Amino acid sequence: MGIIIAVISGKGGVGKTTATANLGLGIGLNDQKCVVVDFDIGQRNLDMILGLENRVVYDMVQVMDGEASLKQALIKSKVSKNLFFLAASQSKDKSVLVSSKVEKLVLQLKKDFDFVILDSPAGIESGFEHTIEFADAAIVVVNPEVSSIRDADRAIGILDSKSNKVKQGEDVAKYLIINRIVADMVESGEMLKSEDILDILDIKLLGKIPEDRGVIDASNQGKPVILDKKSIAGQAYTRISGRLCGKQIDMKDIEISDSGLFKKIAGMFR
Amino acid sequence: MKSNQYAVKVYETTIDDEEQFIEFFNTNYMLFKDHLILIHGHLSKKIKEYLKSKSLTYLHNVELPKGRNRKALEEEICLVRRESAISVQIAEAKLKKISSKLQNNLTVLDRMIRSGQDINIEGDLLLLNRVNSGATLTIEGNLIITNIVEGAVRCFGNFMMLTTSPKANIIFHGVEVNNDLLKNKLNRVELKNNEIIITPVLKKEISWA
Repeated sequence: MGIIIAVISGKGGVGKTTATANLGLGIGLNDQKCVVVDFDIGQRNLDMILGLENRVVYDMVQVMDGEASLKQALIKSKVSKNLFFLAASQSKDKSVLVSSKVEKLVLQLKKDFDFVILDSPAGIESGFEHTIEFADAAIVVVNPEVSSIRDADRAIGILDSKSNKVKQGEDVAKYLIINRIVADMVESGEMLKSEDILDILDIKLLGKIPEDRGVIDASNQGKPVILDKKSIAGQAYTRISGRLCGKQIDMKDIEISDSGLFKKIAGMFR
Repeated sequence: MKSNQYAVKVYETTIDDEEQFIEFFNTNYMLFKDHLILIHGHLSKKIKEYLKSKSLTYLHNVELPKGRNRKALEEEICLVRRESAISVQIAEAKLKKISSKLQNNLTVLDRMIRSGQDINIEGDLLLLNRVNSGATLTIEGNLIITNIVEGAVRCFGNFMMLTTSPKANIIFHGVEVNNDLLKNKLNRVELKNNEIIITPVLKKEISWA
């Protein structure tokens, strides 16, 4: 029996899909069986970021409707034998999702995999609600800016009222990933500090990811940034995946820029 | 006040045939002359004149209290007493309910009010957590918030207690409270003689750095 984790954000463009792809791969590289499911029906992107776009034959909606079996639709990652991918339908829209079919699908996946990661669509509409409905845990991805924080806050509010687990009187575990942190801007006070974000959202911190130009290129090439050992964002994703797999990894303070430290040391010798 | 109490005999009738009635009264006049005549239904002018000529006192279409025997009266007194006892009990229960409502009117919340949440509370509220941006609180009673408010607050009580809240939208009895007036660590907002008074409870801490 695995765990179902929904990756949510409320606001679009904060890095949900990138985080899903990288964490999926990171978990796979930690020798745990993982499946990533794209729930953004009609606007699928996860296949491209994983570099699997030309392998998609059957999608999630066809599996739910019984037109294809789960085995036929699951796509194995080129990089890790432990990572599988289930694509969203590109031709349909979010209205095709029905609670009972979603439940059947995710529970089937939960039986076969250690981690089932659901990539939620942006917004708080039906697609989002179906993603969180059967989730055991949620990873909330935010950028250090007020609009992203407010939308995430709203998404958490809905998660706390509409998820199946909450309705049964249990708690949904919620973890925060702060994405695209620019150390210089945090130091100069232009960007929100992670303590402030944690104050507002009041959930556990899973990790911080620094802004990294390499992420865009990695996504375009279909090679998630976690595979680039030199990338600072990739290293952050490696740490977060390790934490998800139960390893004790300390938080790295990425909010102090190297140049700032360098300047300080240089100042001492002046 | 001068008063007297006495019993009167009443002859109660409904007139169907006027001639028959007059004849009956003529023959039995001696019997009825000290009675109070009570007539139900239609009363014609002819009968009125007849009754006047005989100087009989009459009432028309009036319900008189029926005399009862002692036992019936005692029973009624008993019933009235019992009913009044019950009504006293009901009144006491009502009072108890109101007083318990007054005592339990305070809601204590220690959860975060997240964006998009809309909380309405009839009584007083003690909130020990944040009100995030995009959330709305509507309170009929008094309000104390010990943490930061970034959302909207509508309060209709006698007073509010708020921390420094530069981003909040606070409306007290329909009047928007200027955030610059809430710059102390803890501020009291009160309604006194239709005037909103804001006083600091805990002053802003001076940073010496």
